[in-house]
Amino acid sequence: MSLEAFGPSQPLTLGVELELQLVNTNDYDLTHYADDMLRLMARHKLPGSVVPEMTAGMIEISTGVCGSWQQALAELSQIRDALVQCADKLNIAVVGGGTHPFQQWHQQRIYDRPRFHQLSQLYGYLTKQFTIFGQHVHVGCPDADTALYTLHCMSRYIPHFIALAASSPYVQGQDTAFDSARLNSVFAFPLSGRAPCVLTWDEFGTYFDKMTRTGVVKSMKDFYWDIRPKPEYGTIEVRVFDTPLTVQRAAALAGFVQSLAAWFQNDRPFIPCEDDYLVYSYNRFQACRFGLEAVYVDPASGQHMPLRDHLLATFEQLAPHASALDAGGALALLRAEVQKGRNDARWLRERQAQARLLGEVIRQAALKFRAP
Amino acid sequence: MDPLIAPWSEALQAGPGPLTLEWALVLAVAALTGHLVQHFTGLPKLIGYAVVGALAGTVGFAGAAWPLRGVGLYLLELGIAILLFEAGARLSLRWFRHNPMVLVQSLVESTLTFAAAYLALRALGVDLPVARALSMVAVAASPAVLTRVVSDLRASGPVTDRAIALATLNTLYALTLGTAMLRTIARGDTSLVASLASTAAVLGVSLLVGVLLAALLAGAFRLLQPTSQDTAIVILALIGACAAVTSSLGGSAPLATLLAGIVLKQFHPRPWVWPRQLGTASSMLTILMFVLVSSMAAQANWGGAITWAALALLGTRLAAKVVTLLVTGPASSLSLRQSLWVGVAMFPMSAVALLLTSQFVVASPTVGAQVAAIALPVILLTELLGAVLVGGALVHVREAERPSRQRGDLTTDDGGRTP
Repeated sequence: MSLEAFGPSQPLTLGVELELQLVNTNDYDLTHYADDMLRLMARHKLPGSVVPEMTAGMIEISTGVCGSWQQALAELSQIRDALVQCADKLNIAVVGGGTHPFQQWHQQRIYDRPRFHQLSQLYGYLTKQFTIFGQHVHVGCPDADTALYTLHCMSRYIPHFIALAASSPYVQGQDTAFDSARLNSVFAFPLSGRAPCVLTWDEFGTYFDKMTRTGVVKSMKDFYWDIRPKPEYGTIEVRVFDTPLTVQRAAALAGFVQSLAAWFQNDRPFIPCEDDYLVYSYNRFQACRFGLEAVYVDPASGQHMPLRDHLLATFEQLAPHASALDAGGALALLRAEVQKGRNDARWLRERQAQARLLGEVIRQAALKFRAP
Repeated sequence: MDPLIAPWSEALQAGPGPLTLEWALVLAVAALTGHLVQHFTGLPKLIGYAVVGALAGTVGFAGAAWPLRGVGLYLLELGIAILLFEAGARLSLRWFRHNPMVLVQSLVESTLTFAAAYLALRALGVDLPVARALSMVAVAASPAVLTRVVSDLRASGPVTDRAIALATLNTLYALTLGTAMLRTIARGDTSLVASLASTAAVLGVSLLVGVLLAALLAGAFRLLQPTSQDTAIVILALIGACAAVTSSLGGSAPLATLLAGIVLKQFHPRPWVWPRQLGTASSMLTILMFVLVSSMAAQANWGGAITWAALALLGTRLAAKVVTLLVTGPASSLSLRQSLWVGVAMFPMSAVALLLTSQFVVASPTVGAQVAAIALPVILLTELLGAVLVGGALVHVREAERPSRQRGDLTTDDGGRTP
């Protein structure tokens, strides 16, 4: 199968997908309620869609195509309200966060769909360990080459995304010392990591043909890259975010992606090159491990600086583009959090320090998720 | 007596007695059998406990006197009290506000079960007071069997949760009305006013004790680590005290702890964690409870008429529960398929039914003997078949893994999953 054509989309439009946890209200462990939630959600008239995910304790919601982060927030809030209503009926709770703090991966059940069973056959226990929860943000690109350009510029901001969204400090009942431990699970997959540094759709097609000839991949779906082109939507898809604890933060992160894309597409500020990726894994690790306290190595200058400083500088840089897109509010929200050094991972740790019971932390996170 | 054994026998009499030794051995064999049953067949462990209990009861080994009295009765009540406390602490009143159909479903299910059982027994010529008592016993499904099977198979999902919730609720009704009924039988006044007054008294006293227990536990949770061993001991000891005192105050100990669980869940919203240590201690009591139930139940006489009455009771009871679920399920956000399996999972009746039966025998030997004659075989059958049916139902709806896939995990502890 050869690479499909890059479809048309309205530039700088947004789409947000959130993978969410379904937990019982008894000990707040994950519970197999995906089918029931889907059945009840089908009775609501909602924008976007609600679909099953890999294991039966997960559900994925997505917005339609949105012009602004406010529209994304409105749609996510509407879906969130319906989710909360259905969950109340079923006596379960819906929670954000990149990992469930104490679920045991081997107790998860693969959702009954051929693709999930095929993946489970191929990847074995990795599939059940993939009971992790991410946010994906799509941003529209005018054409395929611009999409690849935007993708590689955006790669420089992967640590920023990770640190802002990090909400997975706990795995299998333990504090991992990472702010985002979820991405460690993604790294186990052979086709994870970054896209090859090519800047035209023709070159990308050549790469894709070579890969399909090896038999390792069949479609774009088989790549678990941090950012990947999504030709059928005419977008690129940023996939490194942990699912935040609130839809407000999820929408603000989408606003950040949109403002960055506007800057890249309007100003063409850098020429991406393979050497940008020399520091990629190091920066990515720093952000996963230390969150907003990470060190950031500038790919162009090699200069080391606190990630927080670079984030604040980036918000300054983006201000005109954000105001043109009416995304100033999103950046203001994120800036305030960066100044206080707060992300969701920190909130979870604070709650655990007080409650000393991860189940209680999840109960509080569920209350946070449902708050309008 | 054989001169070789005599000194041993005397020595045993000086200690706690041969009965204690027999019980200790029966418990050990039951635990072992339960383990082997799960290991080789993938069926729930409690089938092993029930089979060993039934055999012990049949051959007269470890024979406790029927009806239960003294330590035997206390242990049974304690076992039930602990399990019902846990079941109550899973029951959220908030849920009924968001989905009142669950409560309606539960009321319809219990009423219909009572009515169907009553009509079937009357049609077979069973006396009115006996039919009334038996129908009340038939209302209670077994949260004990359900929670054990769920924990053995690590089940989780809507059918599991709904079955436990409905079983807890109908146990609540059966304990309240059943205890009240036997009070009125004991006093010989079965008028409506007397029944209502008696019901209110049982419920009132049990609720009072329950609230006190919940308050004490909530206070203890403020001081103790939720997962620590000390918490486990405090919980067990307080439930033990509650079981010792409630009956003499005019309430029902299992009802009191069930209500305590519900009250605690309501006012102490922190998630409920059954401490791991408590898991082991309460498992021992649970095994004892299942062995006791089936050894008692195995002492039933299987006469012709009794067998028919027992089978009729079984059939109508199951039919009533399944039909109610199928009719009310979809409105309460279950699918038809799930409703059917919830109905099936309500088949077991066990410890609570035995307790009520035993208390009927004490309250009125004549009525009680007839109640026991039919109830005991039903309890035995539902305990043996029930665990298989519940396990099968949960695997069928994919809320528990098929046993073959679980085999590799069997060496791990199945106690409290929450860290």
